[in-house]
Amino acid sequence: MKQEPFIIERTYHATPEKVWKALTDKDEMKEWYFNIESFEPKVGFEFTFEAGNEDKRYKHICKITDVEPGKKLRYSWRYEGVEGISFVTFELFPEGGSTKVKLTHEGLESFKTDHPDFKRESFMGGWTFILGTSLKNYIEK
Amino acid sequence: MRRDVFQAIADPTRREIINMITRESLNLNSVAENFDISRPAISKHIKILSECGLLIIRQQGRERICEANLKSLKEVSEWIGQYREFWTSKLDALDNFLKTSSSSKRKTTSKKSTLKTIKKTKAK
Repeated sequence: MKQEPFIIERTYHATPEKVWKALTDKDEMKEWYFNIESFEPKVGFEFTFEAGNEDKRYKHICKITDVEPGKKLRYSWRYEGVEGISFVTFELFPEGGSTKVKLTHEGLESFKTDHPDFKRESFMGGWTFILGTSLKNYIEK
Repeated sequence: MRRDVFQAIADPTRREIINMITRESLNLNSVAENFDISRPAISKHIKILSECGLLIIRQQGRERICEANLKSLKEVSEWIGQYREFWTSKLDALDNFLKTSSSSKRKTTSKKSTLKTIKKTKAK
């Protein structure tokens, strides 16, 4: 069974064009996202960056799978030396003068490794269920 | 096999069982009736859930009642919270970035932006 993806939405007081540029221009990405050596919004383009916590930095390896300028950007998201692959999708929806961004991160449950940092991730299946139903029930009980 | 909350929720049937008994405590038969898989298979899932601490089996006369024990789910929500925190902080950073870059632009096209702002305020 396919797991539910992680989804988060946010609305920005900016045009889709402007948000798109922030998502795809490496000089702009550096300001809020990650410092990526080179980035081109083209299907098949691969990019990497390092991120993590103070103790351990992970090399993130990403490959673009979908590009709809101003509308949708999707890339694979995996870690060097870690089994499994996830996908991050940014979707842009114009709302008057604003833009709604829907971020979807799917496949997180595929990271299967014995590394302690990831051990729990292989068991994360159903987290949406947890947040959506059970935990809600638990808290409201 | 691991016996913790993450193992418990890794399986869709077990998640469905938790869902059911969260709504109301049920006896073993009532749980099994809701699935197409065999009764022994359901019993095994219930045993795992019980070993993982998410389900408590209570003997009531001749019946065995399954009750949800969801305290440990907090551990999961804390872990998911890490991803939530990560993306929330990134999307906040994007917000800040868009705000600062638009305010520097506003200096050159200030008249237009001001007009727009006024119109918006009036419309409200």
